[in-house]
Amino acid sequence: MNILNLLIFVPLLAATAILLGTSARRTALGASVLNLILSLIALSQYQPGGDRFQFLSVATILPDLDLKYFVGADGLSLLMILLTAIVTLAAVWVSPRVERMEKQFYACVLFIAAGAMGAFASLDLFFFYAFHELALIPTFLMIGIWGSGDRHAAAWKITIYLAVGSFILLVGLIGLYLAVPETQRTFDLTKLMLPGMVKNISASAHWIYPILLTGFGILISLFPFHTWAPDAYASAPAPVAMLHAGVLKKFGLYGLLRVALPLMPDAAREWSDLLLVLLVGNVLYVGLATIAQKRLDLMLGYSSVMHMGYIFLGIASFNFIGLSGAALLMFAHGLAIAALFALTGQLRDRTGTVRFSELGGLAKPAPVLGFLFALAAFASIGLPGFANFSSEILVLFGAFGAQVSKLVPVSGNPIAPPPTFTHFQVATVCALWGVVISAVYMLRGFRAVFLGELDKRWAKIPDLARTIRWPVILLLATLMLGGFIPRFFLKFVQPTFEIFAPR
Amino acid sequence: MFSPISLEAAVVVLGLFLLLFEAFSTEPDKSRIAWLGIAGLGTILVLSFFTQAPENAAWMRFYTADPLAMFFKRFALVTTIIVLVMALEYRGVVTKFIFGVSPQSGLGEFFALPVLTCAGLMWMASAIDFTLIFVSVELVTISFYVLVAYMRRNTASLEAGVKYLILGALSTGFFVYGITWIFGVTGETNLDLIAAAIPHLEGSKVPLLFGFMLVIVALGFKIAAAPFQLWVPDVYQGAPTPITAFLSVGSKAAGFVVLIRLVNTFMDVPLVREKVVGTMFVLAALTLIYGNLAALPQTNLKRLLAYSSIAHAGYLLVAAASFGATGARDAIAFYLAGYLLMTLLTFLVMIVVANRTGGDDIAHFAGLSRRSPWLAFAMLVAMASLAGIPFTVGFFGKFFVFVAAYKQHQYLLIGIGLITVASGFYYYLKVVRAMYWDAPADDSRIHAQPFTNAIIATLVALIFVLGVYPRPIFDLLKVKPLMTKFALR
Amino acid sequence: MLKDYLPVLIQALVALGFAVGTLVVSVLLGRSARRNAMKDSAYECGMIPQGEAQPRFSVKFYLVAMLFILFDVEVVFMYPWALNYRDSLREHGPMIFWSMFSFIGIVTVGYVYALKKGVLEWKN
Repeated sequence: MNILNLLIFVPLLAATAILLGTSARRTALGASVLNLILSLIALSQYQPGGDRFQFLSVATILPDLDLKYFVGADGLSLLMILLTAIVTLAAVWVSPRVERMEKQFYACVLFIAAGAMGAFASLDLFFFYAFHELALIPTFLMIGIWGSGDRHAAAWKITIYLAVGSFILLVGLIGLYLAVPETQRTFDLTKLMLPGMVKNISASAHWIYPILLTGFGILISLFPFHTWAPDAYASAPAPVAMLHAGVLKKFGLYGLLRVALPLMPDAAREWSDLLLVLLVGNVLYVGLATIAQKRLDLMLGYSSVMHMGYIFLGIASFNFIGLSGAALLMFAHGLAIAALFALTGQLRDRTGTVRFSELGGLAKPAPVLGFLFALAAFASIGLPGFANFSSEILVLFGAFGAQVSKLVPVSGNPIAPPPTFTHFQVATVCALWGVVISAVYMLRGFRAVFLGELDKRWAKIPDLARTIRWPVILLLATLMLGGFIPRFFLKFVQPTFEIFAPR
Repeated sequence: MFSPISLEAAVVVLGLFLLLFEAFSTEPDKSRIAWLGIAGLGTILVLSFFTQAPENAAWMRFYTADPLAMFFKRFALVTTIIVLVMALEYRGVVTKFIFGVSPQSGLGEFFALPVLTCAGLMWMASAIDFTLIFVSVELVTISFYVLVAYMRRNTASLEAGVKYLILGALSTGFFVYGITWIFGVTGETNLDLIAAAIPHLEGSKVPLLFGFMLVIVALGFKIAAAPFQLWVPDVYQGAPTPITAFLSVGSKAAGFVVLIRLVNTFMDVPLVREKVVGTMFVLAALTLIYGNLAALPQTNLKRLLAYSSIAHAGYLLVAAASFGATGARDAIAFYLAGYLLMTLLTFLVMIVVANRTGGDDIAHFAGLSRRSPWLAFAMLVAMASLAGIPFTVGFFGKFFVFVAAYKQHQYLLIGIGLITVASGFYYYLKVVRAMYWDAPADDSRIHAQPFTNAIIATLVALIFVLGVYPRPIFDLLKVKPLMTKFALR
Repeated sequence: MLKDYLPVLIQALVALGFAVGTLVVSVLLGRSARRNAMKDSAYECGMIPQGEAQPRFSVKFYLVAMLFILFDVEVVFMYPWALNYRDSLREHGPMIFWSMFSFIGIVTVGYVYALKKGVLEWKN
């Protein structure tokens, strides 16, 4: 059995088994541990120097349209699969005791995980899209049933927003499918990536690319389509927030790296100015909005939107360094935000509130919780020693050195670059301020919750349970591994970008 | 091997037999009639796979047995079988509103008439001549006049019956008038002969198009396309629920087969073609917008499904407006097959739940996930499929429709579709919200009959299987064609 | 070609003109007479009207009338059938016989059904 198929079907089968009556938490935990082991096996079997896509498995669905179930992975997909496996395990592990409809709860978590796995492993545009949508209904149910605060409004908002976003994405993908001559039409990404096909697509790429960018952008919460994200994350139960902010949001970015850039490189350069403006909006506008938040969960929601700006910067730079940084940052951000949401969920279970004004001094009764939260916050800010730091550095270097598309000579004599800053350099300088902003809000948030005067109400709250520490430690340890030895992860993703990105 | 026309003959004989059985038998329990009907139709469904059209027969001028026709014959049979299953679950409500000498008197025809309607639907699938089209449409419509008003002590059902009768008669008038114009211009009633005659017509094409438009108006009533949809909400809400399901699936599908054949007839002449596509475009845009936006504020599930039925007619019309693209015809057939599965599943669950909760408002579904996780899950699947979520058959349906529209550069329709799909998510998920978010009125469990449960399970499984692997439907549409020279090209 | 439909148009105009004309004439001529209670009462052969204007009939009358129309129409179908019977038999074989046979068969089933349901029983 193909290992990628196993990765997709283990959670699906586990979810079905739970609905049919097996012990919910035990099955879910078993399935996610198994998945983590499987993804590590896949990572160890992957040969960076070998074929571009490995672990291939095909089943034809519609030969007329050349639509098939086709999975395969390169280093980039494997890194995302590893991220999914780790975050899923952590999400299942830290779930509090579910009081009602326990079966549906764990089944929903596993469905979301299976969808993410499938999307990252698919090499067929149709299934790439379809697997991502698998998360839609479970998310709707989970936020609505087990969420907190204004959960109903948040559930509607995220569902409608994502439905519209994914439909726009679908329109773009169909456009991509129809962009090539009738006899060569295919949903097969490996065929579409062939140079002849890319040339075919380039004729209509200038309007397909913006559609895809809008569609993916809504899924990623690109400014100004970000308003669904903070509310949804704030109201969602911790596992959903972890999976959504940590993994599902990366689907859009992965889509840009996997589909949009390699198939439409010229259009991507053509539209990079627009992307630069929007991503500065993500970093600065959303960053300032984050500082203004008065609740921990909303602050984290906004911060996760803000950090998307850096990843977009790496993608917009469209060079080897920037893209490698973006891929590593996707991984790092997924782990860091998952850890933060997990700890926030624990905090909410203890205090029942996450308002800064009501909290304070919690590091005294709950030192471990405070310590782990501090580490996760440092990672999120991008302090050296965590993968976020190494990847942000790569992104900023990559973007600063990026070529402006209009200066790349198509034919004829090269044009001398102007003496002033290019758009990329301006955007990079703006984005640098984001580091300061994120330090401000994260440290302020930490101080408001864990330092200062302790309210009497919270004097007796229990510290993080021994068993719950391990998933958070797993997330943080992986982040440190990426911080001290970035090469360990970069060597997987770099062959992907060597093919289409200039050094 | 049988001749395909013997299928309809068998259905008619079965229907007449059931009527006589009901008249002569002294058995007080009428459910036996439904079981006989289900068994008989099931047998005919199996036999339909062993048909062989003769090389040349006189009736081929009126009747074709091409794959499309065979597909929709089976479609009608499956629909009727499931409608009979629903009618069995629903009989308690019907007996409340008709009373006679014994508790179940007058119930027998409720099970026998759908069988006769089925014969009409099957003829519509095969009709390629305006005379047969008209007669079969009337057979279907007149049976529905009776069925819609069946609960004669229920004012809502009577109101629905009167509205359906008046508007149905009106549309019949349009239909006949249109046919006479087309006949007057071309001198033919056979669709292929009409298609052959159009290029040789002298003078203005206006009378021909006028006739075409009149026929489209009449078909617009049948398929519930805006602006001919006004009857739909009241009739759907008032009619007995199994009949509502039958109307929204059987009647609509048969209407679309006729529409496919008709549009196909007028497609080949450039001047006429433009007008036909334009008409379809306007119908599709209006139907999409009206159906989806009007569905948003509904609080009654039956009424919601009425608007959703209009909305789905809109998506089907998008495919009709994209005729000429390869696969547009198959897209309609596939969409309808998916629509059958998900709509009948919804109605089936709705009947079971409404029997226990006493009504079909969305509020009556509150907390269903705790009263019956299985039925709630089935409803969730149906709603997800109706909304068009991947890995359900509804998504593939919309996918094929939009691919076809893309190929014909109907970008405006795709843009409208973008809005309507989003609003569809909202109103279908409203039902999911009630089932999963809200607290139940009481905690008693809800169960369905074992046979009903089996049908529900089959429909759920088919929605998933066809949502991942849609090939079987296309294979059915491609079966070695039994083409005659009059059949669809 | 549309010219052929001119008579239809003329007929439609005449029909419309007649209807409008009579209405207009009755208004013009009728204005001279004054209305009174006696004039407005229903006219019933010089008798004083009594009872309701819309008495309830037993549904049986309608059923009988409907059955009559059904069988009447059937006979109308049979007339052209009988005229063409011999020619068609020679050209197309016995199909013409069987088609009418099945038609009458279906109508007969309907008749038997109606009988059995007690449509023609007047006692209850």
